[in-house]
Amino acid sequence: MSIHTKTAIEAIKRSPFQAVSAIFVLALTFFVATTVAILVYASNKSLSYFETRPQIIAFLKDDAKTDGISALQNKLAIDIRIKDVKFVPKEEALAIYKKATEDNPQLAELVSPSIFPASLEFSVTDLKLAEKIIEEVRSEAIVDQVGFTANLGGEKSLGDVVTRLKTISYYLRLGGIVFVGVLAATSFLVLLVIISMRMTSRKGEIEILSLIGATPKFVSSPIVLEGIIYAILGVAIGWTTSFIMWLYVSPSLISYFGEIPILPKSPVTYFLLFAIILGTELLVGFTLALVGSLVAVKRSLKKAK
Amino acid sequence: MIKFENVSKSFGSIVALSNVSFEINDGEFVFLTGPSGAGKTTILKMILREYLPDTGKVFFDKEDITQIKEKDVPLLRQKIGIVFQDFKVLPERTVAENVEVALAVTGVEEGEWEKRVDHVLKLVNLSKRANLFPSQLSGGELQRVSLARALVVNPKLILADEPTGNLDWDTAAGIMELLEKINKEGKTIIMATHHQGLIKHSKHRSVELKEGKI
Repeated sequence: MSIHTKTAIEAIKRSPFQAVSAIFVLALTFFVATTVAILVYASNKSLSYFETRPQIIAFLKDDAKTDGISALQNKLAIDIRIKDVKFVPKEEALAIYKKATEDNPQLAELVSPSIFPASLEFSVTDLKLAEKIIEEVRSEAIVDQVGFTANLGGEKSLGDVVTRLKTISYYLRLGGIVFVGVLAATSFLVLLVIISMRMTSRKGEIEILSLIGATPKFVSSPIVLEGIIYAILGVAIGWTTSFIMWLYVSPSLISYFGEIPILPKSPVTYFLLFAIILGTELLVGFTLALVGSLVAVKRSLKKAK
Repeated sequence: MIKFENVSKSFGSIVALSNVSFEINDGEFVFLTGPSGAGKTTILKMILREYLPDTGKVFFDKEDITQIKEKDVPLLRQKIGIVFQDFKVLPERTVAENVEVALAVTGVEEGEWEKRVDHVLKLVNLSKRANLFPSQLSGGELQRVSLARALVVNPKLILADEPTGNLDWDTAAGIMELLEKINKEGKTIIMATHHQGLIKHSKHRSVELKEGKI
């Protein structure tokens, strides 16, 4: 163990309450940061889910020929404003209907495939373009009607859902940034105060070290290291607490939201997401501790002179 | 090795040094004597670059240290071993760790520490106290820790500021013996003291200061 690490650990042991308060504030900051990061991820995912669903359904006329359908499908597929083009024949439309009414099989028996028109389903890359695209598709000869995700209740309600989600996502992000920002600033100040107190309590030692030829870097190393230890412990505790909480609630959330992928269903992706958050937090924590400690050390050494 | 050239220093209206000039050669043992406030400590602090003179020059190994940059001051101090009247040992470190700190400061490889610390503690007769804390030592032992820390980096020059000031006669004599021994090994020693008994018992040169003048 290097002399600086040893000094830093001894300093932590000597003033355990200062150390605990610094670690506690940092842990709180990183707990909230992890939680907010996951909430922002979930809101983005649900927004993206609704934005990328088959949003437009072009119902085809009964007399539409295979050639005409293929031509229109190809035309839509190469349009850069459009994605995920899918042809749904009458039989598949009936199957979808049957699945939707499986709790009441009599309803399915009453209908024949001919009732359901074949359709072309597709999404748009940007919802702002939807209206223009609908107009263009509607003018096609083989198209009978154009619907806007009927299962969500029509054109307006999908727009409403997306707009509402966008608003929620925006406020979540803004609120999260402000809250985490305030906590990060508090952590920074707590670190600054604790490191300054440490410098004051080590005044005599710093004076001796300076007289025997210690460079400012030598004097400040254990103090900066101490700040970094606080940050690493703060991140570890905050992140682990949030991770355990999310592990606990994830099954219920995934089941409640069903096919809306608010959280990754694959364990690998799930852990990768948390690993990325941990990596980012370690980096932020390290920077926070480094800057905080250096500012405190610089101020104290300046005062000592 | 050390040369003061027309050095003056005042603290407000108090004149600490007035046009002081003297020279100390390599391997010499010199006493700086005089009553309290005569300017002895000011001279030592100028050699350490704690103070800058108002006028004049201070040379260390022919280099004018009043001109060196602030960032190079630690390098200058690493060449000097210093012993203080109040020992200035680190209270939360053991005897051995106190000595190791000086090696860490000068960037000596950690692998060499044990050998060098053992050697120097043997020299000051503190081998058996290596793992004790300063609070468990007597005044004389503390001064020997301070001396061991100064010696371990193998400095060219040792500054001793009243190293016997807080010690009884016998212990002071012991410290003097050690300093004599170190001087015989070729180190230059400048010792500030007002202990006339020690000066009389020694054959070394004295630079006597009175009200900032030699």
